Amino acid sequence: MNRRVFLLGASGLAACTHDRRPRLNVFNWSSYIAPGTVPRFEAEFGVRVRYGLYESNEEMLARVMGGNSGWDMVFPTGYIVKPMLANGLLAALDHTQLPNLAQLEPRFQQPDWDPELKWSVPYMVTAAGIAYNRKLDPPPRAWADMWDERLRGKLTMLDDPFDTIGAALKKLGLSVNTGDREQLKRAEAEAIKQKPLLRAYLNAEVRDQLVSGDVLAAHMWNTTAQQAMDSSAEIGFAYPLEGYAVYPDCSVILRESKRPELAHKFIDFLLRPDIAAANALAARTTTTNAGARKIFPVEFRNNRTLYPAEETIARGEWAKTVDPDSQRLRDRMWTEIKSA
Amino acid sequence: MKRLRAWFLAPSWTVMLSLFLFPMLIILAYSLLTRGTYGGISLPWSVESYQRFADPIYLGILWRSFWIAGASTVISLLLGFPLALFISRAGKWKNLYLSLVILPFWTSFLVRTYAWMFLLRDTGLVNSTLQKMGIIHDPLPLLYNDGAVILGLVYGYLPFMVLPLFGTLEKLDRNLLEAAADLGARPWATLLRVVLPLSAPGIRAGVILVFIPCLGAYLTPDLLGGGKSVMIGNLIQNQFTTARDWPFGSAISLALMAIVMPLLIAFVRRDEEGLL
Amino acid sequence: MKRASRPLAIYALAAYLFLHLPLLILAAFSFNESRFTVWQGFSFRWYTAAWHDSQLIEAAINSLIVAVCATAISTVIGTLCAYGLWKRRSPVLSGSLYLSLVTPEIVTGVSLLAFYQWIFRFLNVQLGMHTVILAHVSFSIAYVVIVVMARLRTVDGALEEAALDLGANEWEAFRYVTLPAVLPAVAAAALLAFTVSFDDYVITSMVAGVDSETLPMVVYAIARRGVNPVVNAISALLVLGFGVLILISERLRTT
Repeated sequence: MNRRVFLLGASGLAACTHDRRPRLNVFNWSSYIAPGTVPRFEAEFGVRVRYGLYESNEEMLARVMGGNSGWDMVFPTGYIVKPMLANGLLAALDHTQLPNLAQLEPRFQQPDWDPELKWSVPYMVTAAGIAYNRKLDPPPRAWADMWDERLRGKLTMLDDPFDTIGAALKKLGLSVNTGDREQLKRAEAEAIKQKPLLRAYLNAEVRDQLVSGDVLAAHMWNTTAQQAMDSSAEIGFAYPLEGYAVYPDCSVILRESKRPELAHKFIDFLLRPDIAAANALAARTTTTNAGARKIFPVEFRNNRTLYPAEETIARGEWAKTVDPDSQRLRDRMWTEIKSA
Repeated sequence: MKRLRAWFLAPSWTVMLSLFLFPMLIILAYSLLTRGTYGGISLPWSVESYQRFADPIYLGILWRSFWIAGASTVISLLLGFPLALFISRAGKWKNLYLSLVILPFWTSFLVRTYAWMFLLRDTGLVNSTLQKMGIIHDPLPLLYNDGAVILGLVYGYLPFMVLPLFGTLEKLDRNLLEAAADLGARPWATLLRVVLPLSAPGIRAGVILVFIPCLGAYLTPDLLGGGKSVMIGNLIQNQFTTARDWPFGSAISLALMAIVMPLLIAFVRRDEEGLL
Repeated sequence: MKRASRPLAIYALAAYLFLHLPLLILAAFSFNESRFTVWQGFSFRWYTAAWHDSQLIEAAINSLIVAVCATAISTVIGTLCAYGLWKRRSPVLSGSLYLSLVTPEIVTGVSLLAFYQWIFRFLNVQLGMHTVILAHVSFSIAYVVIVVMARLRTVDGALEEAALDLGANEWEAFRYVTLPAVLPAVAAAALLAFTVSFDDYVITSMVAGVDSETLPMVVYAIARRGVNPVVNAISALLVLGFGVLILISERLRTT
């Protein structure tokens, strides 16, 4: 072991135990903040922030479910807000402590998963679409193109039941949130029909293979696709014509938090247009903050992967909480698709 | 005297009772409850989760998992035995060689698996080397099939085979082997008739330590198998994550344990001085 | 057997190549200028980045602390346990050891978390390093017992009988007769325990607290998106560090 690293760490640990500044524990998705945001907050408010990372809602949920995880704030996706509320995990927000709430875009002022923003504040938003190699001519434009024989062995779908069944539902012109048994069964048949063409079911790991050319078309989140596009001019992204699922990630304060005022301050800090703009720019994501969009550099504001046109936004559909019965059906379908 | 013997076992009893058996009772309770509306668990008590598992599709997944774990174990044994034999005879170098077996495993599993993905993909090192040498024209489909899953499992658990094998092979009496050679036994005969039977405890331990974790593997099938087919580990993982159905996940796990335990006991019992 | 040695050595070389190939790839790409697995020139930038990533370094230190503590505890407890079981069987204890091995990781994690949360109702503690270390002890004991037991079964019990006849007490018989005979297996078991502890993600991520994030947890959070050169760099550094440590200890032992 490198001795300097060890000494550095040891002195770091020692420093931690002597630091008496109040501390806020923030648990967020990876690649979702600018490097300077936390230090700036710490300096401005004279506090410390422990900033932990997770990569899936389920991982975060498992850790905070017990109500004594130690985290003050997390960033669940919209459809997780209701289950968290039902399990008594969330603290109510005090809007008087969030003056910057007005900076949100109008479509996030009364979202259907939390119309009064009583428990959650939209932070960033992600959409599932098609990332493709520009060698493909014509490029895929619709979900139906993902069932095309020419993509055999060069195509991946997301390894997530909601997303991939959702894509099949959209191909059929149905809602991604449907609980209708017959509709779900039709989507399952579509997914099974598509499976022989697939190289694999992959999540964000597909990024590298898209860049290397192993994969020509991938069902992918727009933020991950943007990372691939940043490193290769060969990659494009399409919002499918039939429509697509949209996932809003929201700031929430956990009920177990011992520092709710400080957590409010952090949420409000994230809502400041300059901070929100810096976060979206650095993380290459889609902010929910209208004020931030006004001060973006022009080329970022016009980035159609992260900031699509109004008519494209209109095709998006919020991913909602699935009821227990159709959740069970979807899980069973997913097992059947995987075993097919 | 007897009292001292009890003290040897006391710490492990304490740990197993408090940190394993008691927590598993909680899982047993979970498996007999019902999924709450938004995940979690709630009343009423029911055996429905177990009934759900008795279904051809889940049993098929179970069978597949046994097959893949079994194949990985056999290959690990075939690859691991000669390596353990080599290390056990390396004289003063043996500790160093043993450490070299383990060294790659002190990096994260995820990192090692990504390295394999890089090696095996269409534009990866293996395919591009073979193409440059003119051996193949089109890239071989090395990734995202059962072969890749088995390769990943063998790679991931080979040390679990080599370490216990080394533990017993190292003990083998060299005089015994030399006696066999003096008596005219050929190396292969010595290996089959003397070395193999005497290292049986190590082989058993290695087989258990490789087979059991392979059976429950979930990340390797996802990353190297491309998630195109599920193993029982994926099924269980899904219940605790995306499906948020803890009772079903608990029931599948307990059912799996109930199936594996008798096999394990039978396997261990064949050894006269077995652990059980 | 002498004649078999050369093919065996050649085979061993191939086996080591198989085991270390992914590691070499990883080390090579930690020097790559590009973020992706396409070579774009030599650079130390990822090492600089790893050096300045306090979260990654702190997690690596946490991992080392957890692995060292858990290995020490489980090796001692497990070796004593294997010896006790060797002297007299206990089907319930050995059965539960095997059962702990058969339990899927996520179930171990969920059950321990539920158990801790139940305990915390009575005690004023939170999830942290101690809960992680205890969890690691609980799942690595079985590995130690199995490896040590495999060796014990090749030990002749008569030796210890002789020691007892000559006036040694039971502890002395264990300490001076049997333990030295199984020491190589104890070392192998400790290596195994260290490895399973250092690499555990599923169970740790369930029982870790805010200040006890381990290296695998941070690696999973930032590398799930694909190859991450900073992670490669810190992995290469760790392996190098461990390798040097092993060489030094070998040197000390042989001289």
